[in-house]
Amino acid sequence: MSLAIETTNLTRRFGPVAAVRGLNLRVKSGEIFGFLGPNGAGKTTTIRMLCGLLLPSEGSACVAGLDVSREAEGIKRRVGYMPQKFSLYGDLTVEENLDFFAGLYRLRGRERGDRVADTLRRIGLLDRATMLTDHLSGGLKQRLALGCALVHSPAILFLDEPTAGADPLSRQQMWDLLYVAAGEGRTVLVTTHYVEEAERCQTIAFMHHGRLIGSGSPEQCRAELGEGIVEVDAAPVMQAAELVRGMAGVTGVSVYGHTLRVFSRAMDGLDRSLQSSLVEAGILVRSIRPVPPTLEDVFLVLTRTAPAEELAG
Amino acid sequence: MFAVIWDVTLKELRQVIRDRRSFVLILVMPILLTVLFAKALGSGELRDIPMLVLNEDRSPESNVIVTAFSTYEEIRLVGTVDALPDAQARLSQGKVKAVLVIPKGFMRRIQAGEDVQLQLLLDGTDNTSAPIVEGVARRVIAQYNAERAIRGLWEQGVKPDRGLQLIQPVYVESEIRYNSGLSFLGYVMPGVIGLTLQLLTVMLMAISIPRERERGTLDQLMASPISRTELILGKLLPYFGIALFNVITILAVADRAFGIPIFKHLPLLLTLCALFVLTSLATGLLISSVSRSQFQAVQIAVFYVLPVFMLSGAYAPIELIPEYVRPISYLFPLMYFSRAVRAVTLRGGDLAMVWKDIVVLAGFVVLFLYWAVQSFHKRIA
Repeated sequence: MSLAIETTNLTRRFGPVAAVRGLNLRVKSGEIFGFLGPNGAGKTTTIRMLCGLLLPSEGSACVAGLDVSREAEGIKRRVGYMPQKFSLYGDLTVEENLDFFAGLYRLRGRERGDRVADTLRRIGLLDRATMLTDHLSGGLKQRLALGCALVHSPAILFLDEPTAGADPLSRQQMWDLLYVAAGEGRTVLVTTHYVEEAERCQTIAFMHHGRLIGSGSPEQCRAELGEGIVEVDAAPVMQAAELVRGMAGVTGVSVYGHTLRVFSRAMDGLDRSLQSSLVEAGILVRSIRPVPPTLEDVFLVLTRTAPAEELAG
Repeated sequence: MFAVIWDVTLKELRQVIRDRRSFVLILVMPILLTVLFAKALGSGELRDIPMLVLNEDRSPESNVIVTAFSTYEEIRLVGTVDALPDAQARLSQGKVKAVLVIPKGFMRRIQAGEDVQLQLLLDGTDNTSAPIVEGVARRVIAQYNAERAIRGLWEQGVKPDRGLQLIQPVYVESEIRYNSGLSFLGYVMPGVIGLTLQLLTVMLMAISIPRERERGTLDQLMASPISRTELILGKLLPYFGIALFNVITILAVADRAFGIPIFKHLPLLLTLCALFVLTSLATGLLISSVSRSQFQAVQIAVFYVLPVFMLSGAYAPIELIPEYVRPISYLFPLMYFSRAVRAVTLRGGDLAMVWKDIVVLAGFVVLFLYWAVQSFHKRIA
């Protein structure tokens, strides 16, 4: 299978701060690739380099077969970019925005009109074509932004948090549109910090402090996690967490409501030793059972075990 | 290339027109500014400077002097006082600009053939009116002296015209060839037109790119395959159209309301105005492409527009500027514009007279546009 994006040791520094460090990424053509990581992990910087908006400080990246440092303008013709911040013209109508960007991508005449109409239909804004963009709701603005990134039929779509702040229904609709785009053979690279959205991707990559700390399909990521998880329903829960955190073999504890998720590399007999320690301390234990890891667990473990941040790296 | 420029032009026009209030302002403001500037700066002639008389002599001869002063338009006699301290008080309060003191015994001493001194107290804080009053005083006294001399000679048998020739063998007759009404308005109007056109165009263009940067729309533009030249020219074109509308309204006002002969030389003046507007738009675009924020753009624009006003000879001749500062004047398109328009409206100049200025203005347009394109980068940081 051919590669849509390949980066080699991709690095970007802003003064003394390295926003992206030595990134090696391979994105297959036609897949939905999810980029996960907390704010400031370097996702936006990476996307901007891949779109030809930002020059790498070191390393190289190949997008749609073109080099980002030397052939940025060629890349711009072949990709669509939806920035994190809404960046269409609020004082133009929905249709004028689409038509303007279709023009910038050199669509002319009949083809241009057809593409704009198709896109309006696809993103479900046909009946709002003449509305001022400023008057759209947040979810509709995001759909229009996707439309503008799609209007010239790009081979690769870069979406920087396309569902940030959207309600569940709008998010569902956005993902339906992404699946349609992927179904047409487009490569979709999407950043998010919603873990449940990552589950929808074919491949995910975790970024932390500018580094790639893990990647693979969601199933792979869960299966290859080096730690197991035991869920404990106990009361009082904070006191239980305090106690468990200090136990031998426990690498991490997170509290969800009235349950604990206990991480460990040595799972054998962990449930029994947890049970006895908690009961001994006079804590009520309602249930205790091993559970499969979620992607959120994967992310927590990966960030905990990633090499410590070096300054000026 | 041209199709994309047109796409950007259409987009900009839609945005300008949709913002109704500022669109109306853009169309009307230049007319108001022209009228305001012309009214404020155009009445450059000083008249009716208030003067006080302290006539201690109260003789027929001293009255001749006072009457002579009152015949000049520049002077308005506001009354008499009897004591010097009163006169000085009025002068220091700024109520009068000058005091004429005629000492006691003025007539007696003249008739006795002695030297007599008149005294003129002037308010030097107003350095425009002081020399004017002084000039009037010199003329009044010269006239008075000449008349006395002729009368004296006549008494000794010399005829008045022979007497005049004896005491004033050489005299000057000046003839004003251009701007014969010596109207300051005629002089200042080309500068006013240029300032107005420049103010609006530089400001509008300067904020154009930083505004897109602040709204985030520049990201989407830079991610598209639009070229820098397409973007810059696409932004220039719509404002050029709007500025041409402003040119026509301003020229019409200058002709109809201020009597500047515009329609007589319309093609040449339109060419000059169009070129000048292009230099201003290009200057604005240059500011625009180097500014990171709208605030910064406005700051730079103000730093450009203000010195232009002082140094370009729009208001006062550049010969008034010290020689070591003057080279700066040649950096401002407004200097060439107001010089050329003055040549056309005041001297009835033709293309042969102003072609050099036209070439310089065209050079500015090319230079600034090239510079603006080069300093705009399609990458972030």
